[in-house]
Amino acid sequence: MGALNTILKDNWEWRKQISRLAVFELVKKSRGAVLSWAWFFVKPAMYIFCFWFALDIGLRVGSGAADASAPPYILWLCAGLIPWFFMQDMLGAGIDVMHRYPYLVNKIKFPLSAISTIYVSATMLVQLMLMVALFAIYAACGMQFDVYLLQVPILLVLMFVFWDLVSILFSHLSAISKDVKNLMNAMSTPFFWLSGVIFDVKSVPLDWVQGIMAFNPITFFVTSFRGAFYDKTWFWNDPMLCGGFVVVFVITLALAVLVYKKLNEEVADVL
Amino acid sequence: MSSNEPKPNLGDAKNLHKTSVSNEVVIRFDHVTKTYNLYKNDKARFLGIFNIRKEGMFLGSVNASDDLSFEIRKGEAVAFLGRNGAGKSTALKMVTGVTHPTEGTVEVRGRVSALLELTAGFDKQLTGRENIALRGQILGLMREEIKEIEPKVIDFAELGVYIDQPMRTYSSGMKARLGFAFAVAIDPEILVVDEALSVGDRAFQRKCIARIREIMMDENVTVLFVTHASATAKEFCSRGLVLDHGKCVYDSTIEDATAYYEKNY
Repeated sequence: MGALNTILKDNWEWRKQISRLAVFELVKKSRGAVLSWAWFFVKPAMYIFCFWFALDIGLRVGSGAADASAPPYILWLCAGLIPWFFMQDMLGAGIDVMHRYPYLVNKIKFPLSAISTIYVSATMLVQLMLMVALFAIYAACGMQFDVYLLQVPILLVLMFVFWDLVSILFSHLSAISKDVKNLMNAMSTPFFWLSGVIFDVKSVPLDWVQGIMAFNPITFFVTSFRGAFYDKTWFWNDPMLCGGFVVVFVITLALAVLVYKKLNEEVADVL
Repeated sequence: MSSNEPKPNLGDAKNLHKTSVSNEVVIRFDHVTKTYNLYKNDKARFLGIFNIRKEGMFLGSVNASDDLSFEIRKGEAVAFLGRNGAGKSTALKMVTGVTHPTEGTVEVRGRVSALLELTAGFDKQLTGRENIALRGQILGLMREEIKEIEPKVIDFAELGVYIDQPMRTYSSGMKARLGFAFAVAIDPEILVVDEALSVGDRAFQRKCIARIREIMMDENVTVLFVTHASATAKEFCSRGLVLDHGKCVYDSTIEDATAYYEKNY
């Protein structure tokens, strides 16, 4: 409990520095390119276009198969892919933030858990820009703004907190051993293809697959965002998915606190 | 010098030293031990952290600081003397707060500015000006404070038009100058200097030494100084600690400490 307290206190006391460093992270990313800020949109846009072309035009699993009154397939695709972009970043650089900011670890006194928060905040800023784009697509598809969309800010906050914990947990481990980063890099592709980012987990006819997927946080977020934007459902109305997420959240929190307690003072010595 | 106390008129380097030292303790090391565990490879280290120690993989541990206890009062200028590996840098790192003691407690009161590795800690993609802002922000300075120190840093570092170029285009000397300029511009309460005075060309070195002396003359600033050169230590400091194998073996005035150090090591 003491460790959790420290994490919360550090993040609160350093909130100013965290937010400014998060902005610097984005400034750095857009540096050295003429189109600078546009690149935050170009990569996701290409991604979405490719999947839309392959799935809707090529394989015809999209609106071609659904009934005519359903909202456009592109919206379904975007509602899942855009949260995935955030999680993809977190699974990539987000689980190894100590190597990204070595000077904050062993040159300057800075709380290590706050380094994770810097990266999550920067990624979240990009996500918010993409969310604005998603709302634009939503409106362009002729959809009405309704109460289901109120889930979006809740889900964004959940996503922020959960992936911050994941980042704290794995960054401490990957500072000690490179295995963690390699493992997570290897897992990125399976996470994308198996988590239901481009298919509906609910339509998988195998019960045991659905049972396992309930414990996959990526599935939870993707399905919940689709519920808000496309299917018009409340995410808490799915007890299995919600229960699974709560279990995973609690386990992640416990592990993050445990690892933080064990490794926090060691990291600066080994990095 | 703002002190009103009479200065001792000894006619030597002595009158460059600070004359007043308050009784307020700003740094306290209380039985501090810092242990580094050494393993055969990274895999063994990873397992070792979780208390899984295979035969032959754990090579033993080194106490970089060994039951180290001392107090430093506000306004003191203390030299840390000792051979390579005596634990000087480890002790200073614990003062700056980037490393934690394995046992014992380290108490530090006040803003610490460290001249440890001057070229480290800059972001290569950002410009010199942005790096000043970034560092200032990390230290929690207000926007106005950063605005205030920025011209001072730029002026001191003598970077000219390079200040708005990305740091990756800087020479190592330019980086070191910027690092030094920043560290001395933020009006530190505790200044940690780890053999950082060999920065840049001779003219710049003279400027650095003048600036450090100016900071040291401020009676509110506590200075910790690591050096192998007794002459430099005598010039700047009033007290000397001799470290050996992580232990404090001698603690006295700078003259006695340097004499002890030169005799025994």
